[in-house]
Amino acid sequence: MDNRRLFLFKGLMWILAGLAAAVAIVRFSLGLGVSTALSDTTPWGLWIGFDVMGGVALAAGGFVMAAVVHIFHRERYHAAARPAILTAFLGYGAVAVGLLFDLGLPWNIWHATIYWNIHSALFEVAWCVMLYLTVLALEVTPTILERTPFQRTYRFFVKLALPIMILGIMLSTLHQSSLGTMLLIMPFRVHPLWYSHLLPELFFVSAICLGIVMVMVESTVTSWLYKREPEMEMLAGLARLASIALACYFVMKMGDLLRQGKLAMVFDGSWLANLFIAEMLLSTVIPMVLLALPAVRRSFTGMWLLACCSVLGFVLDRINASGLSQVWATRRFYFPAWTEFAISLGIVAACVLVFFFIQERFPVDPHGLEEVEAERKAREAALPAFAPFAQVWLGEGWRKAAKVYSFLFVLALAFGLTVAPKAQPAVNTPAVRAVGASILQIGPGPRYVYFDHKKHQDEAGGPKSCALCHHLHQKGDVGTPCVVCHGNMFLPTSIFNHETHVADLHGNASCAQCHGKGEPIRVTPTKKCSQCHDKDMMAANPVVKTFDSKWAPSYKDAMHKMCIPCHVEKAKDAALKLPNLGRCGACHNSGTQSEKAYRAEFPVQTAAPGRP
Amino acid sequence: MIENPCILTDVTKCIGCEQCVVACKKINDLPADGAPPRPGSTPDGLSADRWTTVIRKPDNHFVRKQCRHCLEPACVSVCPVGAMQKTPEGPVIYDKKICLGCRYCMLGCPYGIPHYQWDSATPSVRKCILCYPSLKSGKIDKPACVASCPTQATIFGTRGEMLAEAKKRLRAEPSKYIQKIWGENQVGGTSVFYVSDISLDFLAWGDGRELSDKPLPPLTWAALKAVPFEFLGMGVLMGSLYWIIERRRKLMDEKAAAVTAGEDTHGQ
Repeated sequence: MDNRRLFLFKGLMWILAGLAAAVAIVRFSLGLGVSTALSDTTPWGLWIGFDVMGGVALAAGGFVMAAVVHIFHRERYHAAARPAILTAFLGYGAVAVGLLFDLGLPWNIWHATIYWNIHSALFEVAWCVMLYLTVLALEVTPTILERTPFQRTYRFFVKLALPIMILGIMLSTLHQSSLGTMLLIMPFRVHPLWYSHLLPELFFVSAICLGIVMVMVESTVTSWLYKREPEMEMLAGLARLASIALACYFVMKMGDLLRQGKLAMVFDGSWLANLFIAEMLLSTVIPMVLLALPAVRRSFTGMWLLACCSVLGFVLDRINASGLSQVWATRRFYFPAWTEFAISLGIVAACVLVFFFIQERFPVDPHGLEEVEAERKAREAALPAFAPFAQVWLGEGWRKAAKVYSFLFVLALAFGLTVAPKAQPAVNTPAVRAVGASILQIGPGPRYVYFDHKKHQDEAGGPKSCALCHHLHQKGDVGTPCVVCHGNMFLPTSIFNHETHVADLHGNASCAQCHGKGEPIRVTPTKKCSQCHDKDMMAANPVVKTFDSKWAPSYKDAMHKMCIPCHVEKAKDAALKLPNLGRCGACHNSGTQSEKAYRAEFPVQTAAPGRP
Repeated sequence: MIENPCILTDVTKCIGCEQCVVACKKINDLPADGAPPRPGSTPDGLSADRWTTVIRKPDNHFVRKQCRHCLEPACVSVCPVGAMQKTPEGPVIYDKKICLGCRYCMLGCPYGIPHYQWDSATPSVRKCILCYPSLKSGKIDKPACVASCPTQATIFGTRGEMLAEAKKRLRAEPSKYIQKIWGENQVGGTSVFYVSDISLDFLAWGDGRELSDKPLPPLTWAALKAVPFEFLGMGVLMGSLYWIIERRRKLMDEKAAAVTAGEDTHGQ
């Protein structure tokens, strides 16, 4: 390949495309969670801010140039019209592809055609983009057909060109502004510096500005890559147009801020205000002032730099308005995952490659075409055999280049698949998140209790008691069901482990400690639990230690947590004369309203006999 | 099912037992809260599998957060395909069969209610639906969360009844409550009211500022209703500009031709 510059650039594009292909596999097989840094607080990220919002604006060159050349008859820009329209077509294609990545259920994208909600700005954008993509395809068709044998079809499309161009401008006006309309419904999210009732108008005017500077960038970059003489006269003209359009935008934006009394906010020193200043300087002020100078308009590098600066600024504007400025309201920062960048860059790379492919084969750019024609003629002259496909369509030396490109693509794909995020292991059991305890699911439904393992262990007799739960009824690490001990979670526990008590109180000699001398040994103990477990039955026992969990604790836990601390506090108050208020019996006597209600609801199980 | 069903939550009565959360999970057949919340999301406890939650605030204040079922819901207005729907009775429901997954509803909601199944390859938007299917079929007479509340901190009735009850409580104990019914007029009115002794502005986005009383959908509609006129206006403008410019060019060409012709005659 004789053009090393172009070769390297295309190689880079193929690598980006390969990387994106790998991420695409992850995105569609595992979903958005794995492949993005999006969250419920920031549901729109880079793919909307850059690919869709930015992409549509970046492709505005198509309708702007169509208007300048075909409506206003500024013939000197004619050379820029076809590349701009082709870029717009590819740009909108990229928006559609980017949207497929971002939509959670992309296979439903066609639903917008049958399910209508005319109150949604997004519905209007969807329709406009759909129609405009069709219109752009029709606008691009003459370029493709011009040098083919289908001359009758070509002439038909040329005749169709004017109404189609006007339709394209009409549709662009609508959806460029509707992207701004989409933000109107969220005054509570979009920062006041970006929020305005004039958002649709501002988006439309800034799209025109961006369209012009984007055409400048394309034109300069293509002439650099293909080592062509830049069209300085056309560029200078575009620069002048850009300067005027940017001045209009600047006046509109500042006037709008003034109207809303937000001008002081620009200089309040907050990072968002500074971001706003940076955006305005990059997109508008610097290019507007410098491009107005004739000296700058004679410099290729100067115009290229300023156009890039402006493009960057306007893309930043779209990202700010549709995302970054909302950090103000959500207070949650979002930074895209590398996978999101990979997809965005990959889509752009794919577009650039398709652009080159068409540019090198079809009369997109009159100058480029001369080269293509000359090259083709040279090739045909050198060819003895008839091999139109390989020679005309794929170009000279395509085999060598294709090998390198496919190698790079596959390499990037493989690398991408290696480093791409993997599926998170599914969490089957509720995670242990509460400090020092876990949450157990009870029953088949989504019902949980707070389970304090340490407390159970301590109360059941220390480390030697494992078998009480773990090997009594179940094998391995499966625990004994709660219900074995706790017949009813809503009542004071019905657990009474006789063995533990016997063991702890020194065997058979201990019976009388509870059952009383001379009395018949009955289930009902003669001694009440609270007579020994005075401390445990009180407020500050381990059950009711405060815990902060996102899980649903049992009703009992909640009641204990809520009531007891206050009861204990009040019991200390001598003036109230309620010294027993902090004891369990204050609520858990058989006569309270609540306990009656529970007993009515759970008639089968009652508290262990004899318990307080 | 009653018309304009409405929930009134009294923050002063809530004990934070989260029985409502459990009841909600049960009736909607929601799975256990599995993965921890995604980084960067607001830690209010809501998720695609947890449609109501209790936010703990200082000094034993518990605030139950759930969908507000706005009278003019922004989520319904922004959905391009109408997957979010305002039912004739009042609750706002969601139809996965229609949804594209654009998540505009999640941005449009001023309270950050709709949540997404991020870990799924076929995700839905999920939020409280006020037990609409069960209420409509008559299986239950009030939403599960309300039925499960042990302290009647959250009660259910028609919007009129609830408004009257809220006003009654504010009047009865003026020193206890902040004299405001959250949800009465916010964003055009909602179907979930709160009375409270602490400010509840934190329930909405916007840095704790109060939400406007104006409904949100008209903000978009003001711009969208002009669309047909913009569309045709632009067409007429472009068409006429083209016509004028073409005509001027033609006239100039003719004039130039006439001049040339005149010169030619003169030359002869």
